[in-house]
Amino acid sequence: MRAIFIVLAACTGTVEYTPDPAQPDPFTTLEQQQEGGPPRYTSRVHGCVKMRYATLGNLLASRGVDLTAADSLSAGAIYRGGEPSLGGPNFAARERENIAIGLATSAKQFDIFAQAAPEIIASIASRPECAGAPLFDGAGRCLARGISCLIGVPATPSHVDICNLTLARAADVESGKRLAVAVLTAAAHTCE
Amino acid sequence: MKALAIALLAACTPDPVAPAAHDEWDDKLADRVVDYNAALRIAALRLTGELPTLAELEAVAAGGQPAYETQIHSYLASPKLARQMFLFWQDTMKLGGAPDLDSAPAFLAELSTQDRSYLEAFTAPSGTCPSYQNMTITPGDCANGGVTVGVLTHPGMNAKMFSNFGFRRVRWLQEVFECSKFPAEIALTATDVGGATPYTGMFPFTSIADSTVNFLDVSSVVCANCHSNINHIAPLFAHYDANGQYQPDIAVPTPQPGSPLAKLTDYLPPGEPLAWRHDVVVGDMRSLGMAIAADPATARCAIARLWNWAMSKTDIVDGAQQVPADTIATQVDAFVAGGHRIHDALFRIYTSDDFVRF
Repeated sequence: MRAIFIVLAACTGTVEYTPDPAQPDPFTTLEQQQEGGPPRYTSRVHGCVKMRYATLGNLLASRGVDLTAADSLSAGAIYRGGEPSLGGPNFAARERENIAIGLATSAKQFDIFAQAAPEIIASIASRPECAGAPLFDGAGRCLARGISCLIGVPATPSHVDICNLTLARAADVESGKRLAVAVLTAAAHTCE
Repeated sequence: MKALAIALLAACTPDPVAPAAHDEWDDKLADRVVDYNAALRIAALRLTGELPTLAELEAVAAGGQPAYETQIHSYLASPKLARQMFLFWQDTMKLGGAPDLDSAPAFLAELSTQDRSYLEAFTAPSGTCPSYQNMTITPGDCANGGVTVGVLTHPGMNAKMFSNFGFRRVRWLQEVFECSKFPAEIALTATDVGGATPYTGMFPFTSIADSTVNFLDVSSVVCANCHSNINHIAPLFAHYDANGQYQPDIAVPTPQPGSPLAKLTDYLPPGEPLAWRHDVVVGDMRSLGMAIAADPATARCAIARLWNWAMSKTDIVDGAQQVPADTIATQVDAFVAGGHRIHDALFRIYTSDDFVRF
């Protein structure tokens, strides 16, 4: 059965020099439709795609991350060197940006968010986008407005609770803050 | 085998289907609730490439729909929209990374952000090679000879999609701007042409050539199912060489020893006219552009792509992210009635009932 599709696809490819990017397997597509719903449903609900590479950079910079940082373990350096694994486009090969979420891209994103957390904590309140709203108060408690600016939607009591719970369970306050920010950021921005 | 092949081909055709009976998926759609806060985040990321600011968040949280719509207007008026549309068209067209390639998506971004018709993408007689830098699009003309017809004559596109017979350019055109792979047309009645599978094209089977390459071959697959359309278009693209420069004579090779240049009779029998579709004869690149602009599928594809972009879907062709006609019917109608303004279409999409419900 699959051979038929391959043969059909080959119809236009017999006179081309190089293969185009792999096409979706029709059986996988059929399976996805059975699980996720028919197109008349899926086309009318939001999907979940990876944050585009450029958008991720904008997000990080706007929340206080230095994308030009030289330290190889900095969020900026990981971001700059991570374009291929973050699905960046390869126009030389006629490939657009891959916005499907995969394990490698998610892991790389989380690496970046984890490394970005200290910079975000230190800088977010001074960013014009966040209007002076810090993530934590002087007593080390999470603040809703700061979280809102980090995740891009108004923070709910659940967001604040999760943040405070992460702080409470951490070995120390600073580690707790980093973990809380990394977790909130990753959870909020897994889907663009 | 023939029945199976017909069924498979038919499955690829976006023919209207009878409405499905009410089911669990309708219930799920009905269960969605309006959330302008969530909608704002996605709209900001798409239209500006950035998260909403805290002030924007708080304004929409307090002001609801009017505040949300005001914010969408603001995003659409921002210079950041040019950047986002440029990136959108880079991805859509699979062209970018160098100035000569970037100018094609820059041209589409220019049309998308200004009060201009999207159909100029297929008809514009000049100004199709602008440059893009730092959210600014600077008008510019292409300098590759011949007439200018939107992106159809774009030097970067024609260079990047160079191939034997120029077929890759035609395939690019079909997939990017018509939102489907070849075959572009499928007859309601299949024809037995002696192969393992039937012929399902709309042109007469013998309307394409069988000389240098036998496009009428049926020994493995019926090549004419795709090539009946491709061969009626490709000769117009065959005048652009490997660098995308227009040449008076055909400038693309054939897959033969020594790679000789193609001839018109390699595509079509003598006397067979060029055509966009089986009932739309064209004479030159300009009339091809006009035919594409007049094809309802072109406007539908544009809206489907913008819809998928807004709704966080992967590519409509490569990712098989179908958008049924019913889903975007009102959007398409408004797009056509409003003169094919993408800028206006974006506002309608980002304020649509489906976009603001979760």
